Amino acid sequence: MMSSSPLNLRRAIIWIGRLLLGGMFLYAGYSKLFLPTMHPHPPIGIALAMFALQVDSYQLLSPRAVNFVSHTLPFAEIALGLLLILGWQLRVWATLTTLLIVGFFAAVVHSYAAGLQINCGCFANSEPLTIMTVIRDGLLAVLAVLMTVFAFMEARSPHPWSAPEKA
Amino acid sequence: MNRRAILTGAVFLVLVSAGLGVSRAFRPAVVSAASPARIPQAAASLSDVDPHEAFGSKSAPISMEVFSDFQCPACKTLFMTTNRPLMDNYVSTGKIYLIHRDFPLPMHAHSRVAAQYSRAAAQIGKLEPVQEVLFQNQEKWEQSGDVDGTVASVLAPAEMAKVRALVKGGTLEAAINKDYALGQGYHVNQTPTTIIHSNGQTYPVVGVVSYDVLHQFIDQLLSQK
Repeated sequence: MMSSSPLNLRRAIIWIGRLLLGGMFLYAGYSKLFLPTMHPHPPIGIALAMFALQVDSYQLLSPRAVNFVSHTLPFAEIALGLLLILGWQLRVWATLTTLLIVGFFAAVVHSYAAGLQINCGCFANSEPLTIMTVIRDGLLAVLAVLMTVFAFMEARSPHPWSAPEKA
Repeated sequence: MNRRAILTGAVFLVLVSAGLGVSRAFRPAVVSAASPARIPQAAASLSDVDPHEAFGSKSAPISMEVFSDFQCPACKTLFMTTNRPLMDNYVSTGKIYLIHRDFPLPMHAHSRVAAQYSRAAAQIGKLEPVQEVLFQNQEKWEQSGDVDGTVASVLAPAEMAKVRALVKGGTLEAAINKDYALGQGYHVNQTPTTIIHSNGQTYPVVGVVSYDVLHQFIDQLLSQK
């Protein structure tokens, strides 16, 4: 029966979401801290100050808020990436991930609609914010929402093969 | 160790490897002065600076090239809110060498003319007041196309005569095109774009950034010296 298969659509989307979003968050946080595209790598202090400039270019936050976001987001992305991949307390971290990605999506849509000619700042490279960025972030937001909803559904009626999750 | 833990560990290792691979694949995306392909360009751009188009000391620890279009509203915002305090606090104190680069976008009807007047004014040592008046009155001359009248409002008649002669001479176009080509070499495709050089590294900053955030970045760079 399909419902007893470990590879039904719901579980597949949860796994894809965990691996794709978890891997992407890990790389996003890592790239903001270590600027892998630059050689020699600048110190982390400079990398974070550089990221602050990218956050500031969105013109959405006060300088104080820009500093807070730029100095916490890379670490939060790495932590969320690891937690998603590990799958521990999935519903909690999937919900937080979804809130974060929807926030990114809103910021990107707002800046694109305002006609700002800026870089995305998503992976600490020179990627311009274009309609492709908006579409990509939109698709990632959809995936995050689906992963979270399905994680809650899965917790209510876990597959017989899975160990019961205590969240 | 159960199967879930082994699987999770394997997936994690695969993702870390993939991340490192991706980081190598993306390496050329950010301009790096230490990247072999970029060294000649970065070095050439800084050694070939028209002193009339720059502010501060050439021996300053940080150099900033600002690729700007006089008709671009974001360039106006950057000039008025960020670069002016930067001039007062970092350029005049010898910490930053600030270079103006013309990058007139084709979609702006009068920006190339404005760049010509600005360059001509720079030749007679009047870059700062002319930049100021062009940005301050951007909305007016954008509508009327009267760049000449706008520039004339801050120059003495004799100075304005020299500026008009330089503009009519037609020699300024080559310098503007040279700046534009330099920007394309840096992959500049939008204005304002600021290229910051420090300690052998090159940091591109796209768009408007506030002075409060930029000066923290500058201080970080200075602390590495």
